[in-house]
Amino acid sequence: MAKLNSKHVIWKLLASLLLFYTIIGGLMMEVPRLPILNETIRALYFHVPMWFGMIILLLISAVYSIRYLNKDDQAYDDIAVEFANAGVIFGVLGIVTGMIWAQFTWGAWWSGDPKQNGSAIALMTYFAYFILRNSLSDQQQKARISAIYNIFAFATLIPLLFILPRLTDSLHPGNGGNPGFNAYDMDSKLRLVFYPAVIGWTLLGVWIASLRIRIKRLKSDMNDLEYQR
Amino acid sequence: MKTTWLMLFLFLTTPLLAQEKQQVTAADYANREVSMADSFRAEGKIYVVVAILATVLAGLLVFTLVTDRKVSKLEQEMEHLKKKIIN
Amino acid sequence: MLFQEVLALIKKEFVLEWRQRYALNGMILYVFSTVFICYLSFNVKGAQLHPITWNALFWIIILFTAINGIAKSFNQERYGRFYYYYALVSAQGIIVAKMIYNALLMLLLAILGISVYSLVLGNPVADWPLYLLNMILSAIGFSTTLTLVSGIASKASNSPTLMAILSFPVILPMLLIIIAISKNAIDGLDRSVSDSSLLVLVAINLIVLSLSYILFPYLWRS
Repeated sequence: MAKLNSKHVIWKLLASLLLFYTIIGGLMMEVPRLPILNETIRALYFHVPMWFGMIILLLISAVYSIRYLNKDDQAYDDIAVEFANAGVIFGVLGIVTGMIWAQFTWGAWWSGDPKQNGSAIALMTYFAYFILRNSLSDQQQKARISAIYNIFAFATLIPLLFILPRLTDSLHPGNGGNPGFNAYDMDSKLRLVFYPAVIGWTLLGVWIASLRIRIKRLKSDMNDLEYQR
Repeated sequence: MKTTWLMLFLFLTTPLLAQEKQQVTAADYANREVSMADSFRAEGKIYVVVAILATVLAGLLVFTLVTDRKVSKLEQEMEHLKKKIIN
Repeated sequence: MLFQEVLALIKKEFVLEWRQRYALNGMILYVFSTVFICYLSFNVKGAQLHPITWNALFWIIILFTAINGIAKSFNQERYGRFYYYYALVSAQGIIVAKMIYNALLMLLLAILGISVYSLVLGNPVADWPLYLLNMILSAIGFSTTLTLVSGIASKASNSPTLMAILSFPVILPMLLIIIAISKNAIDGLDRSVSDSSLLVLVAINLIVLSLSYILFPYLWRS
């Protein structure tokens, strides 16, 4: 267990460096001058990665749920849960930062933007997942059934994220979408900071999740020792 | 393993057509009609903000690192305990 | 083999349902009374209800009926019977049979629902074939999604609440696309407008169907 820390210090360093780069580059580098967005376009580097990070973390969670079903190993279940937890944290931060931005750019805290609705639904799904876990008492049954729900929910979440933007378009013809990030295609200059930002924030999420997984393992080890005594 | 691939395939086949988007052009970078925080930058005040945010980030990262160290210390202790009890 | 198994299991579902008609009658009454409550609450004649409201309200009624109706699909089975099945048939057979049966049940309830709903609240639908196609696809979709969720919920202690909260987010993409298609049908828009939405609906149905098929054996074993 101890080797897990020393050997894997490199990606933690990478995460830290990328995040410093995000803050420095994100605030100081040149950005396109777009109407309505103005200087807030820089939120692209801080708010949007929350959304990407959420999806990536939830994907990892779903993958570990699949692995759990293939190979009844409690460790996989712990990983799935903690990544779902980290994903939810990112989702909450994404929604809150999005709401702040929306209030000052679109003029309403909740403006029915597809991405906003999508992340709200994602959070709803994962809150349901946690409630499901809490209402099952047997450890193995809890792991198995919640893994099934996790996979199922993630699989329906993905089409939703792609469907929602299409639907709002079809409901408001001619409205052409709100002026926001969604309306613009990112150019290479924006991507130069954006992708490192996504990787950095996601790695931070992975780091937090890994800490919680290790604490969980310690706890179960402790229980085992107690049992052996 | 077969089911894993099948499920991953299901996840990956769902993405549908993306929305059509507006291209950001070089003209957007030179567009002086859109107000940005230019004087703020010219006065060098932006460095203050960057310094503050970098400090906050550094503080949080150091804190996370310390927590990480603490967990690994606990893990080592746990290994010792396990050996002691098994022997 | 699987086919015969499924046929036998569907037959069993029908026989059981027919023997316990009170459950079926209960569901039908549930649709009727919900529709009637909506009618009385809005307190308007059909023509005055805005088509968007009309549409959304109808699908919400159907959604709740579906959740209530399908929630019991595993609760009915008594414990001893589970072991009996376990020895006799495959898990895939059970889930497919339940899904087909629930789809038929949903279709019946939806058709009854739309008849009563149009009777009291009027009917602005312009393109009936599309609307019916949409209804059939939605019956299949609701049943495939909710059957697995009801299996999950039946394993937990507070299953009625759990059934609702687990199914809402999962059913949402489907519900939104169904509402969009039926709005097109109400407005009588050209069929080509709904093409891509219909395709998406079918695609979601297939995804959910295959996932239920893959995942159910794991649920069944626990």
